[in-house]
Amino acid sequence: MTTEAVIETCRLTKSYGRHEAVRELNLSVPAGGITAFLGKNGAGKSTTIKMLLGMIAPTSGEGVMLGTRIGELENHRDCLRRVAYVAENMALYRYMTVEQMIRFARSFYPDWRESVAAELLHVYSLPLDRKIKSLSKGMRTKLVLLLAFARNPELLILDEPSEGLDPVAHEHLLQTLVTRSAEGVSIFVSSHQIAEIERIADHVCVLDRGALVLHASLDELRQFYRRIDMVFARAPREEEFRVPGVERIQIEDNQATIFTRWNTEEILERAKKLNAISVQVQAIGLREIFLETVKER
Amino acid sequence: MLWYKAWLETRSRFLTLLCGMTAILIFFVHHAESVLLPKPEIDTYQMLYFANHYLVGLWVLSVVLLGMGGLIRERAAGASSFTLALPVSRLRLVGVQIAMGVAESVALAAIPWGAILLTSHLNAREFPISQAAFYAVLLVAGGLSYFGLSVLVSSLIEGEFTAPAVAYGVTVLSGIVFGTVESFRPYLDVWRFMGGDNQLNKSTYLLTGPFPWASTIASLTVAAMLLGAAVVVIQRQEF
Repeated sequence: MTTEAVIETCRLTKSYGRHEAVRELNLSVPAGGITAFLGKNGAGKSTTIKMLLGMIAPTSGEGVMLGTRIGELENHRDCLRRVAYVAENMALYRYMTVEQMIRFARSFYPDWRESVAAELLHVYSLPLDRKIKSLSKGMRTKLVLLLAFARNPELLILDEPSEGLDPVAHEHLLQTLVTRSAEGVSIFVSSHQIAEIERIADHVCVLDRGALVLHASLDELRQFYRRIDMVFARAPREEEFRVPGVERIQIEDNQATIFTRWNTEEILERAKKLNAISVQVQAIGLREIFLETVKER
Repeated sequence: MLWYKAWLETRSRFLTLLCGMTAILIFFVHHAESVLLPKPEIDTYQMLYFANHYLVGLWVLSVVLLGMGGLIRERAAGASSFTLALPVSRLRLVGVQIAMGVAESVALAAIPWGAILLTSHLNAREFPISQAAFYAVLLVAGGLSYFGLSVLVSSLIEGEFTAPAVAYGVTVLSGIVFGTVESFRPYLDVWRFMGGDNQLNKSTYLLTGPFPWASTIASLTVAAMLLGAAVVVIQRQEF
């Protein structure tokens, strides 16, 4: 396990009976920057995060968060003092008011920043005297974000942080994540909002059916992932394009579409040999990469 | 601040139960004594005995409700993720919840007894504080096992209504079994213990004799075992 990683797992597995929610996950989240954790519903993202935070015990494998083994978190709660976590469901204590919730949360963290909390209270327009049970989903999300952003942790873990937010708050969230990352906070964010993630993330991990299927920097993805559309006089055989790096080959009549992680030159060479009538190479966005990666095989 | 949280979580339940119990007992002492007490001297103690029996029933119902809540309930409501991400061990989380519940249970015995004492005094029926304290101590010492049972049930069962239903079911069932089966009665009839029947002088209705240390220790041990089991269950639960 490397020292540069804030989160590192080795063959981390969680099974519920015969169902494997997370399968032999080897994940490495580098220190600094924003790492996006993507996957379909039920891919195992929240289970992974809960294992990292000690809420769920792994079935096998191991993991380290900020230098502490995840199985030992119960005895090393100090590690959690260095982590801020925004949970998926945004649930807080219904019987507390906003003010009581803030007072309660800040008492646990020496890194609490009063000025940031005050600023976010103003930006989010949170009513201090309102009971949490009477807040809307969006307001609760804002309060949960305030509780995380008012701190200055080493690692910020967010599980679907934008749920229920209006576009203004959403934009503010993205800007805050970028700012916090620039301040040196490592951010690990799970989301379905791929367009937004593409704007802010430095690294991308994609989980599919519990297994890590993609782990790369966004720059690498942009540089190497290509979609190649080709037209031939007659339909080519699929085998012609089976070269390392090719993710998917789709042939319909005399047209072929290939998604590739690398080796674009080799494919173009083959297209030339097969006398392609037209060849078009396009860089593809994260959304398309994600959809290709998690497509049913 | 965990104490603050535990207080906020239980205070409406606690204050409602406290006010309800106290009001019922004041009403009983103030109005019902003419029905129960035809004679002046001895009957104050008889009244205390009956008042205590009302209190025992109400108190057990109340502490079972106070034992509800905690991390499993929070899991159902979704807030357990926030709680468990706090830099606090599960042992401490549950420990504070239990300690707050015990403190409130003691208050639910002490304050109504204070109200009985005061109301009785205002009705010119004086009795020594030691008698009230004796009843209150027996009530708490015997009854904490019901609080322990409730905490254990609420750490096993998530449902908002299922958990209290099961806890009340077990409470009633154990009361029937231990109170009616002849071989159990001398050792396991907690209701007799809490009601002071084992220490009661039937002719004077005074609690007399030495304090039942052995029974108290046995009862508190059972309560501690139930609470310990609840802690172990919570530490092993997945959230």
